[in-house]
Amino acid sequence: MQIQAEERGWLRLRNAFSTLMENRNFLGFLLVIPAEAILFIFLAYPFILGLWLGFTDTVIGRKGDFIGVGNYVSLLKDSTFWLVTYNTFLYTIVAVLFKAILGFVLAIILNRDFKAKGLVRAIILLPWIIPTALSAIVFWWLYDSTFSAISWSLIKMGLINHKIDFLGDPTNARISLIVANVWRGIPFFTIGLLAGLQTIDPTLYEAAAIDGAGSWKRFRRITLPLILPLLAVITTFSTIWTFGDFQLVWVITKGGPANATHLFGTLSFQRAIPGGHFGEGAAISNFILPILVLCVLISFKYLKRED
Amino acid sequence: MKEKNGLTRRDFLKSTAVGIAGAGLASLPFESVAQKGVEPPPLKPEKDAVLRVLRWEVFVQGDKDLWNKNTKKWEETTGCKVMTEYISWEDVRPKAAMAASVGAGHDIVLGWHDDPHLYPDKLLDVTDIATYLGKKYGGWEPVCYKYAINPRTNRWIAIPMGGPVNCINYRESWVKEVGYEKPPSNIFEFIKMCKKLKEKGHPPGFALGHAVGDGNNWTHHWLWAFGGKCVDKDANVVINSPETWNALEAVRELYDTLIPGTASWLDPHNNKAFLAGEISVTTNGISIYAAAKGKWPEIANDMNHVNMPIGPVGKPTELHLFNQAFIFKYTRFPNACKHYLMFMLEEPQAAPWINAMIGYVGPSLKDYKKLPIWTSDPKITPFRDCIANMLWNGYEGPEGPASAAAMAEYVVVDLIGDVCVRGKSPKEAARIAEQRLLRYYKKKVSVPKKEAPAPAKKEVPAAPKK
Amino acid sequence: MIESFWSKFFRFYVPLIIFVIFLLFPFYWMFNTSLKPMKELYNLKLNPFYVHQPTLENMKTLLFDTIFLRWMYNTFFVAILSTAISLGASLLAAYAIQRLKFKTSGPTGLAIFFGYLIPPTILFIPLATIIFDLRLWDSLWSLVLTYPTFLIPFCTWLLMGYFKSIPKEMEECAMIDGASRLRVFWRIVIPLCLPGIFSAGIFAFTLSWNEFLYALAFISTTESKTVPIGLVTELVRGDVYHWGPLMTGALLASVPVALVYSFFVEHYVAGLTGALKE
Repeated sequence: MQIQAEERGWLRLRNAFSTLMENRNFLGFLLVIPAEAILFIFLAYPFILGLWLGFTDTVIGRKGDFIGVGNYVSLLKDSTFWLVTYNTFLYTIVAVLFKAILGFVLAIILNRDFKAKGLVRAIILLPWIIPTALSAIVFWWLYDSTFSAISWSLIKMGLINHKIDFLGDPTNARISLIVANVWRGIPFFTIGLLAGLQTIDPTLYEAAAIDGAGSWKRFRRITLPLILPLLAVITTFSTIWTFGDFQLVWVITKGGPANATHLFGTLSFQRAIPGGHFGEGAAISNFILPILVLCVLISFKYLKRED
Repeated sequence: MKEKNGLTRRDFLKSTAVGIAGAGLASLPFESVAQKGVEPPPLKPEKDAVLRVLRWEVFVQGDKDLWNKNTKKWEETTGCKVMTEYISWEDVRPKAAMAASVGAGHDIVLGWHDDPHLYPDKLLDVTDIATYLGKKYGGWEPVCYKYAINPRTNRWIAIPMGGPVNCINYRESWVKEVGYEKPPSNIFEFIKMCKKLKEKGHPPGFALGHAVGDGNNWTHHWLWAFGGKCVDKDANVVINSPETWNALEAVRELYDTLIPGTASWLDPHNNKAFLAGEISVTTNGISIYAAAKGKWPEIANDMNHVNMPIGPVGKPTELHLFNQAFIFKYTRFPNACKHYLMFMLEEPQAAPWINAMIGYVGPSLKDYKKLPIWTSDPKITPFRDCIANMLWNGYEGPEGPASAAAMAEYVVVDLIGDVCVRGKSPKEAARIAEQRLLRYYKKKVSVPKKEAPAPAKKEVPAAPKK
Repeated sequence: MIESFWSKFFRFYVPLIIFVIFLLFPFYWMFNTSLKPMKELYNLKLNPFYVHQPTLENMKTLLFDTIFLRWMYNTFFVAILSTAISLGASLLAAYAIQRLKFKTSGPTGLAIFFGYLIPPTILFIPLATIIFDLRLWDSLWSLVLTYPTFLIPFCTWLLMGYFKSIPKEMEECAMIDGASRLRVFWRIVIPLCLPGIFSAGIFAFTLSWNEFLYALAFISTTESKTVPIGLVTELVRGDVYHWGPLMTGALLASVPVALVYSFFVEHYVAGLTGALKE
């Protein structure tokens, strides 16, 4: 009797449990817990601390006082900050644009069968895999005003007659850094988009070809609409990374010449750490947030429409 | 005794002529430089103390060898343990800053320039060992007092270790070719020499990029040489002055003689260009000479060093990287930390250490200028006096977050760059620099002396975090 | 479709070769530099594209004067563990958000994604306090636990995209047959998403492999350093860069990984196309 009752109790419990596990809300909550726990402890909490820092005049090793929007007001009056804002947008827009175009083109080129496809794909991933800290050093060496191999070959070819000052001139320095960033970012686009391209049913193209559509039309009417959601996601991520770039610039120019290549990330670091003004550094970082949120919301809205 | 000393010196000459003397020097005997009869402060290292030391990855191997050897010696005498971490010199500041704000981490840090003044309340008072070392070794160089003493309490918060110092590096034959025995010490004559060198196709090169060491050092020196300065004694911004304009007019003349590309130069660029024979004159530590002795003997034989030229102010106005050791209050072994630092700077340890650094690091204690390394090779001698010739970052104001920020922002480097590279007029450039400096020097936290008592009170309970 | 040779030549080979040269040139440069003795590096009279007196000296320095292999091991350890943790957490979260559509799934998804926007440059100082309180200072575990903060948002979003692209029908059929949700998740959803998991894994692994700032901030002892930190902090001495060993290290750290990847990429593309055809 008792045993039976106990068994029945267990059974009921188990049934209740499985019903619970079928409940979308409960299961949903349960499944996101691991991700949220990690993000809360190591991201949200320090982030709130960082947000708070931006409203204080904290310097290294000294507790700051709350100064409201003091940091933000003083930044808005700082011409360096405006220059850096301009740099960051220029850098992000140009670099992401080139990465997207070149990455897409390369993905289309690779989206066919040929010998050594695997090898070529591995080669293409290389720039993405190598630690940025190290590839930045290589670019730095390639851009050297005295030893640059690029200058050397152009001179030998007779195209120029003196060495290019890659990093000393503001425009050159910006171009040089963008090239390095594009170099690093192409694989992300290519490999991501290639995966998407391969999911497109080849019969669609065949049907279009029978209807007499040219390759450009096929691209516009079939490839682009089908790949657009993926492209949007990849572009969003790339934008975030580029916007918050730090290492490349820090290694190659340290923000010079005359702050022409400083980005939000590097300026924030420079003012917070070597400069010792934590509060101001945090405030600069906090400026990044609303802009990024805006970018993401736009792409997000776009994705929703595609749904 | 004296004869013996003479012999050793000749030995030095021999060994340095062969190559990098480093380890060879360490074991050689020499006359003691210490003053007699100075008693060390009574310090008893805590039993079984374990010290965590953060220092910069050495510029020359001999530094590391001897530092570790001396550390081992200390471990053996005290029974304590030391864990030394070497990281690249530019990364010391972030790590030390983190330790200060987190309130835990390394016990001792060998940091740069203003570091101790960014968190003076977190640092252990080391006045006793500083006073003792000063007395025993002929006193500290003048700049040490500015760098290592907290102006508010008048106590030592750091022990100056010296600095990787810069001199004018030049190619003897090319300088002779344009009619000079060596680069003139008068700054106007110096510019003239540079012009002639350029005409002969051997331009000089000075870093004008955001180079933490070389860039900051020579541009500050240049500004100060003409009497320009960022702030006065009371931390009022005075950069926009006729002296600054003069310095900028002069530097424009200098810049016209430089090799193209210096606007992007960071610390390693001039080394490479000098070793490749592209430039005739630059400012650098002894690293070029050391590298040349190893692999480019023809350049090593033809190069030499002199101290930085002197401007209209009539006295040396050099700036060098300045290294100091400080102890965080949170350490569990304050006595062991102090004892360790004191031990490392005592002659039996410090003398072979400085010798092994073959001139990279100028000493902060005056008597260590008498060590044989400084005269063993006349090409090293100029580096001996650099620390004595130097002013402090943020001259003539106090050390603190404002001076650190001004240097971190490369205000002076950009000031020179604005005029030279970007074609701004001296007055315009000075005005821009003034605006940038005001951002930091206006803030109340940056002027400890003038600071209102209210925030100071608040800091006190925050400091002893355990 | 049959293509003429010239059309293929101009539309395929030429652009491909240009791309490959552009992407590979810096690696050629690393390789070239890693074989050069210092003296040749600074000799402007020589052709820089060619190594006149190749030397293995740099390799020797790297392997015997530094603990490069230990750094490689550390990097692998951290990258694999943090990728595994992130993939696990993201898979669950992405499934919950995309498929279960529970009450707050929309805001949860957004919140996770916004996590990605926070720049590490500002996080690392407050984070240091937390790492310290958890007694993870100078331990590789500090990295294993902090890397997921930027991996999870990324992986979750990538996987959500995959869930979206997989038809619901199979799951629904199985559910009608009486399988529980968790069983469906384990038996049907995961195998279907394998390609997605692979691609998220590859990117997560790379992101942790490259991470610099946290590793610089939280790791102190030489034995616990990761490859990028180890190379840069120990082979740059003042104003002297040990170009040869630095470049050798960069090569050794990237080429093997790239080869492993090429294998995985093949696998995941094949899996992807296969899964969707059925």
